[in-house]
Amino acid sequence: MAEIIAAVDEGGANTLLGDAIQTIGTQSKSGSGSLGPFTASYNLTGHFTNGTVDLIAPGTVRIDQLRFDWNVDLSFQIDLNSFLPHFCLPQVCVDIPCVGTVCTPKICVSWPTITVPVSFGDFVEATADFGIDVSLNGGNWKVQIVVQNVSQLQFGPGTAGILALIGAAITPILLAIPFIGPFLAIAVDTILLAIGIAGVTGFLGPIISPFISGLKIPVYNQAKHFQVLPAAGPNDPAVFVELDAVTAGIQHSDEDELVLSVDISP
Amino acid sequence: MSLTGTEQVFGAIHESALNDMIRAFFDARPRYRRFGSPVFVPATTVTATQMGAIPFPGTGGIEWLVTFSIPVIDLFEQTTPLPPPLTLGPGQFSLRTTVGICIDCAARRDDRQASVAAGQGRAAANHVVCTALDVFGIGHLDSWHNSNGDGAVRLRVDTVELVDVTPDSLETLLECLLKMVLDAALSQMELPLPALRAGAFELIVVRGPDIADDRIKVAGNL
Repeated sequence: MAEIIAAVDEGGANTLLGDAIQTIGTQSKSGSGSLGPFTASYNLTGHFTNGTVDLIAPGTVRIDQLRFDWNVDLSFQIDLNSFLPHFCLPQVCVDIPCVGTVCTPKICVSWPTITVPVSFGDFVEATADFGIDVSLNGGNWKVQIVVQNVSQLQFGPGTAGILALIGAAITPILLAIPFIGPFLAIAVDTILLAIGIAGVTGFLGPIISPFISGLKIPVYNQAKHFQVLPAAGPNDPAVFVELDAVTAGIQHSDEDELVLSVDISP
Repeated sequence: MSLTGTEQVFGAIHESALNDMIRAFFDARPRYRRFGSPVFVPATTVTATQMGAIPFPGTGGIEWLVTFSIPVIDLFEQTTPLPPPLTLGPGQFSLRTTVGICIDCAARRDDRQASVAAGQGRAAANHVVCTALDVFGIGHLDSWHNSNGDGAVRLRVDTVELVDVTPDSLETLLECLLKMVLDAALSQMELPLPALRAGAFELIVVRGPDIADDRIKVAGNL
């Protein structure tokens, strides 16, 4: 029989895990990837906000609508060589009396790469099933819930707007190119349209997924050498007990509860 | 029936864990179960608490020592047998301990110099006389808590029973004396409510702390 029991119901778990999620803080990731024919380097930051906790016996904590608010700084690079044909002015040679043959160099036109910065933010939601992990490391008992399964990410409605934002940032730059600018703008906007929301989520999903799939939320963290009372003067040293064993699980009765059991010794 | 009931958070400590915690307290701070006057306890230390000798004319003060073994607590429902007429009721705990009482049975001499010396106090015991009494008691929890989630419980002794002491008046007198001593000594041990649930899940107390089912139970909200 467990010597010490602490239990929290679903309502309490909502509050408890919500507070714990807040302590996780801001997550960030940088890198680069491809969005259609474009290359984009990114710096994404985000943080978790609360979801709705569902305790499922014997050992699953489900958080529905687990929300991750994110903001990404994108730096799009559009290589115009991908859109415009390469052409060269051929070498021309002329025979000049008394001088000989004179040739012009071969001149090839290399189109520039245009860099366009875009910042955008939205949220993504998922339903995540967590298992309960109990460990003793470094003299500390730690109970945390660890993601086991994550549903498909549901991006917020604003995410679709990222394409329009990219188009709005790129189009004026392309239009400024003499002669061919309008055609380039139409071409790029057509490509963005083809990329669509599926392409955007395909780009952002792999960036954001690791934040959720690697999520660990702390539930309990106490020293094995547990302090019952602090020292209260030279003749009253601190009082400690040993936490010999800690277990955790979900118990189902007339309601579902997250239950911690602790065995102690003097 | 859920543990939390109508509240969000529940905590409970079984009597075996409570006894572990009490043992840890008295092992770390043995002075709370060893009290004596200067001949027995020259100074207050971790191991003993010094108190004054009992003043009485012509004795220079009666030197004394009271100790008790680490009490064993039984929370309702009753597990440990109790001597009649003690019975363990709902919300109560019983305790079992052995109290040791010693006095320095100093002989008073006729010559004046010895009397003067006695009046100045003694540096060492002359003739120590001790007894040990098995004591059973019944008590209740005394607790406090606030809206910050802080709180603590103390054990308060209500009744003490000695066995086979005669005459009855002596038994009654000793029971009263030991009740006062044990109640005062044990009530100095204040166990924080968070410690009673091993630091898990902060709560603001709504229900309890109560004694039931061999446990101290408390429930509240985050």
